[in-house]
Amino acid sequence: MSRSSTRFDTKKVNSELVTLTYGALVAQMIKDLDNTDDVSKQLERLGYNMGVRLIEDFLAKTGTGRCLDLKDTADKIQTAFRMYLGVQPNVTNWSPAGDEFSFMLDNNPLTELVELPDDLKGLRYCNIICGVIRGALEMVQLDVQSWIVQDQLRGDTSTEVRVKFIRRLEDAMPAGED
Amino acid sequence: MAVCVGIIGKDNSPKFFTCLNPAEELNFQYKVLSALDVVEEKLNCGSKGATDLRELYLGMLYTLETHKIYGYVTNTKIKFIIVVDSTNMALRDNEIRSMFRKIHSEYADIVCNPFYIPGEPICSKSFTGSIKNIMTGTV
Amino acid sequence: MAEETLFEVLHSEIINYVLQNGESRNKDGKDEDLSTIEYIGFSTGYRLIERLTKEMPRFKDELDTMKFICTDFWSAVYKKQIDNLRTNHQGIYVLQDNAFRFLTKISNGKQYLEAAPRYVSFTCGIIRGCLANLNIFCLVTAEVQNMPSCKFHIQVQRT
Repeated sequence: MSRSSTRFDTKKVNSELVTLTYGALVAQMIKDLDNTDDVSKQLERLGYNMGVRLIEDFLAKTGTGRCLDLKDTADKIQTAFRMYLGVQPNVTNWSPAGDEFSFMLDNNPLTELVELPDDLKGLRYCNIICGVIRGALEMVQLDVQSWIVQDQLRGDTSTEVRVKFIRRLEDAMPAGED
Repeated sequence: MAVCVGIIGKDNSPKFFTCLNPAEELNFQYKVLSALDVVEEKLNCGSKGATDLRELYLGMLYTLETHKIYGYVTNTKIKFIIVVDSTNMALRDNEIRSMFRKIHSEYADIVCNPFYIPGEPICSKSFTGSIKNIMTGTV
Repeated sequence: MAEETLFEVLHSEIINYVLQNGESRNKDGKDEDLSTIEYIGFSTGYRLIERLTKEMPRFKDELDTMKFICTDFWSAVYKKQIDNLRTNHQGIYVLQDNAFRFLTKISNGKQYLEAAPRYVSFTCGIIRGCLANLNIFCLVTAEVQNMPSCKFHIQVQRT
């Protein structure tokens, strides 16, 4: 073979592959669903399904045990961000009651090369992250809400993902087996 | 410092165009488009050419009394053209080459914006800003 | 590696999304419409190849491009090279991967074999997108006879 081989940085290629595939999916959803809010909701739902599966992988790879408290949970999600997206967000803005906190992402591989057109300014492009957090935590018996507070795609300096603890789910009933 | 940058699509139609002096735009568009013939010629002449054709940078395409015109073609057949003042002696081959690399990098980034449809004219403000910076050598 | 799991989970959610979305639209129960999955792959491949070929010397010809897809490209995306490349030198290429990444985690069996087209559509699109941006226009189909082996047929459209 005459071709001299080009060794790619597989880690980088993989991250670009995720970013581009996700971008193509979002663009497709915008074509499929007429309403930006519906796209945002659908992205969250898709993230939820991913979270349900990713948690297994996370637990297996890290050998993590039960979370002691919500602070511990936040730290573990922070580790997951590093493992799966290669970024390390800060955990901040704790509510006085200690039941709500935020992840601050200064850079976000999902949105790095994205420019939202003016007619899509309402789109929650990163809602998939909220969905993943909700899905993953539900599998470890934590019912939470998660939403995007600040968004770099809409001109904010960082992306802020808020997480609010709702309640602890009953241990005895694994989802889908009632 | 370059005076004009043009990006020409696979179909040989301009996708992006910017000049330091907007009044000269039409004049430069003409120059850039006529450079495309030289690009085609260089790409088609096979391995007989003096330059290594497997390189994306094509070198100087032609000179006019007032300007020098350089070309670069990506593997995806997108052409980048840079126009430089003939009086500008500061810009050597290596500087031009590195300018092209930076433009290429910006182009590859814009193609990855899921809301940009490849083949359409590029109208992103941040892209225009980056290209201007590359032209004036501020990056 | 963790990022690889992320991509695999995203890939399977794209399949779910497209199937559910298609189901709600046409209920005739005909063949599954996988063209949207293929298109998402196309768009991804088209954009990805722009980045990957940024630092690379120009391709010599069509065969040189195909070899690149089978080796460097396939290793970067699918973690292994294509096991076999055949061509009739008239625009038909057959790429065989004996352990295709998206099929290795599915058990072998008839009911799974029927679902196999879902797991190869995205990749058909990726290949078509990469080649289209490299100015090789083609049709890409996949054939799965024995999991997890897969053959991709590329038919170049001559103009």
